[in-house]
Amino acid sequence: MSGYHDIGGHAAGPIVKTELPFQHWEKQAEAIRNLLGDNSRRVVSLDEIRLGFESFGLEKYQAFSFYRRRLEALIDTLEKKGLITRSEFEQELSAVQSRWPLPDQEKR
Amino acid sequence: MSSLATTMNRVRFSVGDKAVVADLRKPGHVRTPDYLIGHTGEVIQFCGYFLNPEDLSIGRTSGPMVPLYRVQFRMETLWRAPQRHPDDRLCIEIYDHWLMPAIETGSDF
Repeated sequence: MSGYHDIGGHAAGPIVKTELPFQHWEKQAEAIRNLLGDNSRRVVSLDEIRLGFESFGLEKYQAFSFYRRRLEALIDTLEKKGLITRSEFEQELSAVQSRWPLPDQEKR
Repeated sequence: MSSLATTMNRVRFSVGDKAVVADLRKPGHVRTPDYLIGHTGEVIQFCGYFLNPEDLSIGRTSGPMVPLYRVQFRMETLWRAPQRHPDDRLCIEIYDHWLMPAIETGSDF
């Protein structure tokens, strides 16, 4: 009945205690998501994004990190609403990256 | 919380009330974790009115606003196993429509 994300209480072995750095792109993506979801805009809610990555399918869900899931679901939702297309996003991404190259560890 | 005018669902539970988490079998996005279904908790706080995340997940922002409560569950009954600290509780926010009044048995609290 419950989805692949709803695994509280399931056996999962020892807890991984490695600290992951909060990357710059993750902060930017979360900031944009917050602005798109605030009460003066309500373009995309966090719950729409959650439904998005809860519908990825297990393989895609597990392949992505926490923030990457949110980012991908955000892009999907903006595309579904006709606000941007994936190709527009990718074009803009490469344009920005050519102006401002990121260090290797920050590439998504 | 929204400042827009919308319907507000009735507050059905008070602090101290015992409630059972309903098995609503809703498809789509829900905020109630599966491990709570069927368990009895105690309402410890009324958190206010919020738009239902199940509505928000499909782009509905017009309401109604639903009451949200903070509910505590005994870890021992939740996991059906003795805990290192027997008095440990899980305190979690649950929307009104996921709760049913519990028949008092005195077993959990």
